[in-house]
Amino acid sequence: MKAAFDPVQMAIPFFVLAIILEIALARLGKAKANYETRDTATSLAMGLGSTIAGALLGGVIFAATLWVYEHRLFTIPMTAVWAWVVLFFAEDLPYYGFHRLAHERRFWWASHVNHHTSTHYNLSTALRQTWTGGVAGTWLLWLPLSFLGFPPAMVAIQKGISLVYQFWIHTEAVKRMPRWFEAVFNTPSHHRVHHARNARYLDANYAGILIIWDRMFGTFIPEVDEEPCRYGTVKNLGNFNLLHNVFHEWVGIGRDVLVAKSPREVLGYMFGPPGWSPDGSRDTSHMLKAKWRARVGGQAAESDR
Amino acid sequence: MTDPPPSPTLVKKGEDGVSLEKALLIQLLGSAVAISALVGLAAWARIARPTPPLDTAGLNALLAEEFPDHRPSAVWISADGAGALARDGDDVLVLWRRGDGYVARDTRWSAVAAATPQQGKLKLVLADAAPVFSVTGPLWPPQEFAV
Repeated sequence: MKAAFDPVQMAIPFFVLAIILEIALARLGKAKANYETRDTATSLAMGLGSTIAGALLGGVIFAATLWVYEHRLFTIPMTAVWAWVVLFFAEDLPYYGFHRLAHERRFWWASHVNHHTSTHYNLSTALRQTWTGGVAGTWLLWLPLSFLGFPPAMVAIQKGISLVYQFWIHTEAVKRMPRWFEAVFNTPSHHRVHHARNARYLDANYAGILIIWDRMFGTFIPEVDEEPCRYGTVKNLGNFNLLHNVFHEWVGIGRDVLVAKSPREVLGYMFGPPGWSPDGSRDTSHMLKAKWRARVGGQAAESDR
Repeated sequence: MTDPPPSPTLVKKGEDGVSLEKALLIQLLGSAVAISALVGLAAWARIARPTPPLDTAGLNALLAEEFPDHRPSAVWISADGAGALARDGDDVLVLWRRGDGYVARDTRWSAVAAATPQQGKLKLVLADAAPVFSVTGPLWPPQEFAV
């Protein structure tokens, strides 16, 4: 749903200029950034396609949001400063919930995975957005805000502000922010961990703007210099095909469901954690982390001898 | 005087008289031009990760990252250094270059042994990909994998 004031649309020129700046600084050796041509093309094409896909489903989402707002509990004024302060927190929490769901359950991972398929971490990666998020229905998580009485336009603006905030943290050019900032806000360092495929970093740092939710709910993992982040998914894609990038996990779900032997297996393949299989022959994040812990424990034991 | 009936098409006029369809088209074309320019800039800048042809040390480092729980008994690097295979019992660890990085998969030894090089290329059909490796001769499997 688009508000009359759309922070994302307004920020597009800034996005373009920031990418140009990051590339220029990397070229001059003044900042850390790697850009691979086809990877960059995929990221930017995903961004454009996401806008189109969003517009196609926007009417349905708008209608649903409006319907919920018409049945609201309270009427919260859009002009009140306190309402914006409350919404800042109240919108960021559902984002954390959405983001955690989108990583820990395969049905929603299928729509979100394409944001993570770049093996690079630069500002163009931020624009690698989903085409199928509307179909996956994650927008439902924000409906309670309208039910509470926040005007739909206000929620849409805050969601836009969150998305714009998250743009600048997709960079390796910024190592660490001041300690107080790292404690409260999502930062390039925290979000590098989120995009990393190293076993130790999997399923962590789901924050939108505030990292406090990860700290509160036990999903925070700090970036450590001894283990640089390696980006992408556990099994990186084998090609740069745009449609493969968009639909590969949906196709994977379809294939698995077709060979499922019971309703339990169907549910597991659809709503279990990514990597779930009935016989445990595939790796989930949990299993990969357990193996990593065993390795690290073994190495520590060897070095203690 | 009554208002004219709404147009049966989706064409609506904005305040400046430009149709919404035309505005969307302009926005789409503008975005495509901007994307092309940024991709061109990224290509010109040549700031991809350096990815030299694999050698034994590079391959071992890659295997340790991608397959930390495996202990391959034999490895083979493709003729152009853009791919490699490592055998660990009945498993084969497969690595091939994609852009400025590597993709990792595993497969069964029987699938690798059954593959046939054609015109200096060996194609492996995996569950979700079909990497192609450069080989130097018609002999397959290579002597590195001789038991």
